[in-house]
Amino acid sequence: MATESIRAAAQRPLQVVGKRAPRVDARERVTGEAVYPADLALPGLVHAKLLRSPHAHARIRRIDTSRAEALAGVLAVVTAADFPELPVGTTIPMGEVGYDMWMVAQINMARDKVHWVGQPVAGVAAVDAHVAEAALALIEVDYEPLPAVLDIAAAMAPDAPVLHEHVFTKGVEPRPRTASNVCSRTVIARGDAARALAEAPATARASVRVDTAHQGYLEPQVVVAQVDANGFATVWASTQGQFTTELMIARMLGQPQSKLKVVPLEIGGGFGGKIAIHGEAVAVRLAQKCRRPVKLVLTREEVLQGGSGPAAGALIDIAVGADKDGRLVAIEGTYRMDAGGLPGLSPSLLMQASAALYQCPNLNLVGYDIVTNKPRTEAYRGPGGIQAAFAMEQAMDALAQRLDMDPLEFRKRNASVTGSTMPIGTPFPAIGLTTILERVGEHSCWRDPLPAGRYPRGRGLALGYWRGTSMTSAAHITIAGDGRPMVTMGAVDLSGTRTTMAQVVAEEFGLPLADVHIQTGDSKSVGYSDGAAGSRVARTTTAALVEACADALGQLRKRAAEKLQCAPADLDYARGRFHVRDASGPAITLAELMAATLTDGAVVGRGVSTKLPLGVEIGAHVCDVEVDTDTGLVTVLRYTAFQDVGLALNPAAVEGQMEGSVVQGLGWALMEGFDYGPDGRLRNASLLDYRMPTALDVPRIDCVIVETPVPGVPYGVRGVGEVPIVPPAAAVANAIARATGVRVRHMPMTPERVLRALRASGDGERP
Amino acid sequence: MKTLVTCRVNGEERVVLADTRDTLLELLRDRLGLTGTKEGCGNGNCGTCTVLMDGAPVNACLVLALETPGRDILTIEGLSGGAALHPIQQALVDHGGTQCGFCTPGIVLSAKALLDANPRPTEADIRHAIAGNLCRCTGYGKIVEAIAAVAAATRGA
Amino acid sequence: MQDLVYACPGTIEEAIAAMAAGDARALAGGTDLIPQLREGRRRAARIVDLKRIPELTTIAAMPDGSIAIGAAANATAVSRHAAIAAVYPAVAESARLIGGVQIQNRASLGGNICNAAPSADAVPALICHEARALIAGGKGRREVTVESLFHGPGRTALEPGEILVAILLPPPQPRSAAKYLRFTPRREMDIAIAGAGTWIRLDGNGAIAAARIVLASVAPTPIRAPSAEQRLMGERPTAALFEEAGRLAAADARPISDTRGSADYRRSLVAVLTARALADCCRQLKVEVAAP
Repeated sequence: MATESIRAAAQRPLQVVGKRAPRVDARERVTGEAVYPADLALPGLVHAKLLRSPHAHARIRRIDTSRAEALAGVLAVVTAADFPELPVGTTIPMGEVGYDMWMVAQINMARDKVHWVGQPVAGVAAVDAHVAEAALALIEVDYEPLPAVLDIAAAMAPDAPVLHEHVFTKGVEPRPRTASNVCSRTVIARGDAARALAEAPATARASVRVDTAHQGYLEPQVVVAQVDANGFATVWASTQGQFTTELMIARMLGQPQSKLKVVPLEIGGGFGGKIAIHGEAVAVRLAQKCRRPVKLVLTREEVLQGGSGPAAGALIDIAVGADKDGRLVAIEGTYRMDAGGLPGLSPSLLMQASAALYQCPNLNLVGYDIVTNKPRTEAYRGPGGIQAAFAMEQAMDALAQRLDMDPLEFRKRNASVTGSTMPIGTPFPAIGLTTILERVGEHSCWRDPLPAGRYPRGRGLALGYWRGTSMTSAAHITIAGDGRPMVTMGAVDLSGTRTTMAQVVAEEFGLPLADVHIQTGDSKSVGYSDGAAGSRVARTTTAALVEACADALGQLRKRAAEKLQCAPADLDYARGRFHVRDASGPAITLAELMAATLTDGAVVGRGVSTKLPLGVEIGAHVCDVEVDTDTGLVTVLRYTAFQDVGLALNPAAVEGQMEGSVVQGLGWALMEGFDYGPDGRLRNASLLDYRMPTALDVPRIDCVIVETPVPGVPYGVRGVGEVPIVPPAAAVANAIARATGVRVRHMPMTPERVLRALRASGDGERP
Repeated sequence: MKTLVTCRVNGEERVVLADTRDTLLELLRDRLGLTGTKEGCGNGNCGTCTVLMDGAPVNACLVLALETPGRDILTIEGLSGGAALHPIQQALVDHGGTQCGFCTPGIVLSAKALLDANPRPTEADIRHAIAGNLCRCTGYGKIVEAIAAVAAATRGA
Repeated sequence: MQDLVYACPGTIEEAIAAMAAGDARALAGGTDLIPQLREGRRRAARIVDLKRIPELTTIAAMPDGSIAIGAAANATAVSRHAAIAAVYPAVAESARLIGGVQIQNRASLGGNICNAAPSADAVPALICHEARALIAGGKGRREVTVESLFHGPGRTALEPGEILVAILLPPPQPRSAAKYLRFTPRREMDIAIAGAGTWIRLDGNGAIAAARIVLASVAPTPIRAPSAEQRLMGERPTAALFEEAGRLAAADARPISDTRGSADYRRSLVAVLTARALADCCRQLKVEVAAP
């Protein structure tokens, strides 16, 4: 495992932060004692199952649940009638724009219409899973099938059946009068890209198609819901955000938040797919109806066949132009994102991400969010980033080839630096892209010649950028009777943040890591925190904890001053001990202090971070491949990921995020993609045919960590977990192009598609 | 229908009331309360539910509970006898070979079967041994490193 | 999943009686059957577990060099059996293609045959070696070629109430070798997009005296490639010959397009895999293949 870490000068030598500490929660994982929601057994537990639409697009005329309700062993049945109807546009608070709750309600229980195969239309709770299954078969649903649109082109066609009568394309002036499947049009522009492109001495284009893919978390969605005698519901969920889950459940049930709490247990992977609820509110309603605790576990087939939100497929066209010195003069892009059956998000972030790393005076980026009759797409690490990079980074690579320039040189010549104008017009805060590119050039992965093999081999370079988000994170620290800090953090641990946050607290207190106890709070036991997503948890919780530590230490200082009979300002604190400055005498340890003051009341330090300045993520990846030109099989021989992390709180954890994220990217690059049939059913709804990489399919991923701290942010930490998934597909595609002279434009670049591109040699290009 | 199943799990004779349709996975998790073995796909395509049956890794979701009498079943719970971790478990801790942890019990047991049969595995041998255990979080690198470290330590000992 | 009765007979006669009770399926490794039952793709009221019957699980090398493989013996045992590995390496290797380690510790050749998927990994090598199937049922025992067993996807020549007891590999022929190559997008845990098994026997002059080519995943059953086989007869091995045989085999193939691959791609793969498998047979025979 080759890792180098180039650290900017530290303010003070760090004792715990920056160390490769093993995870504080690793033990329970390797022994199987870690508790995930499916592991819960409660007295009287009953089993829930969801009935799902077999149609991609249909009106629900009538649902008759009477025969199901009459089946022995069935305890409750629900449909949309059991939930209040939310008006279109209902949102819950989240970050700056909130989250569309009308959509979440539809995702969890279709009302009046279904928009994809697998959308839930009813739920049952029964004494066991076999009875629940039998009950589903007894629910009669009278559907009126409607014509469906299954891909972007079909959805955008002028005579396309419209999914939602209330959706009119946003961002178009004048406001359209007819409903459309194009939910929004977003433009990011500066200068005159069309003219600059037309006049550019060198141009290149990349038009790509990206198949929908899945986040691939190994633990399917699962929830356990219990309602007590007073009607208070406790929900144990596999969730990236207990507060968001609570808000969504409460809103969907039409109940106040004070009547429910969400307890996040261990989560077997989320990657963006477990931000929205998928069954939680239904489980609570069933529990309310039958007065028994309810467990709902999705099968893998359900997860894939419409029961969760996959990552958006796309059609993206990029054109880039440069002057004869290889300086970019224009970037044009059209990004058509497949939202699935309900309107998605503005593609603004992914559009910005694709162009951000390049200094370029003329930009014209246009993005469309388009609905189709497939499951509503949700987030996946850096949502939209890898799809956009698959186009943009191939175009840049092709442009470098056209200029006869080394692709690394081309990136260096055009690299954004601190102060460069970002696509949305604001200047870049401190970034280290140039440093990363220099490291690439010095590294053996770039300098070593590619050894010859049986088949053509090539080396590809691709960059990645992701902005992430900050939002809100809270934490508090209590001091145990033995003087040790007990940390409760609000954000769910998705990426090992219990460990890194314990390291921060240990650092702030000057204590060994083993002295810090850390846990994640539930939605009633800790301050509001947004979900674990957007590469925000480590950075923002660090800030919250720095504040909480200062708060706790301040309270302890006052107590110590009383005990030592001096002024608080006369005390120094180091490594768990207060001592009077300039005297070799009185001192008191935290343990002694707490023992002496335990009955005076608790010491509770609180901290919260909102709107922390962003620490953008930047990466550069180098990939060597071999292409079997007879079968199209691509073998990744070597892969090196360079990334600026600001400061690596824990290099092992950072590497883990990078390696895992890269392999997810390689999976989507080469083998993962949803295959929908003409009826809108997913034809590869199993882990046999939805192919995720095995240990034999990928090499070791080497990581090089660069550190350009974020100014004004405790420890200068950047987000880490999202950007590593952004470059891999383009890095592989560029390597294939260098190996064979052929560009593959359809992701995943399956062996069949690679072979077809090789045979067509040029036919694959779209103007 | 209900049926009594007698089986040997983690060295103990267990007699439990099961359903004739139960898989070994359901027997372990739902009837015996041994929830260390997880379910990822239910049809043998992910290896998350790997247990050792007579020393050989199998997917518990593909074995009927009724096939277990007379077999020796080892689950993750049976591996470490208390405070001390098995070397494979310790190595995964030390090398960062576990993130969300969902694949980990299956990986540990596949690795154990490998090292019991082949104390000197190459990297290719290790990757082959865990090829039937999907991991979505780690990218496999640190898992392979951990298993290799155990093998090297055993050789050196 | 419908309720089921589980029977675990100790002899073949008991197994046949249990199967005769009706609506029964034989259980060996269960790696296909159990998910099929749970997902409703197959139905059975009765499961007859064959693994306690010695004749079903033993692998016996006979004095004449033939080998009897119990139909329920698991793929790991098959792949590790010294005689199979030495004399029928294509069969041993094929057993190591089924799924991955966990699957191979349970899956059986008998199950692979009786599940009758066109992609069955163990089948082409068996057909290449003219393996025979020993079948037992209410009307007694019978022996047929493995090749003749396949009637369509999921359908075999077994009559209701019959079980496959053993697979019989004949004594090896001198100067012969076999190889099965399949193409999968992943290195393991995958299903063949296409597969080609080849067997050749050389005469005293190094010319091909006999050849069998068996294709997987390109027809409703495993099929032979007769035009490719005929082309090889009497010829000396050259790369050009093998490529031509590959093209002929591709023309013999009758693939469909489905989620795993298009018909065109499958044909391309057949051509490549056939040529490569033939080349490997020569490598095993230490015969040089003249370059094109």
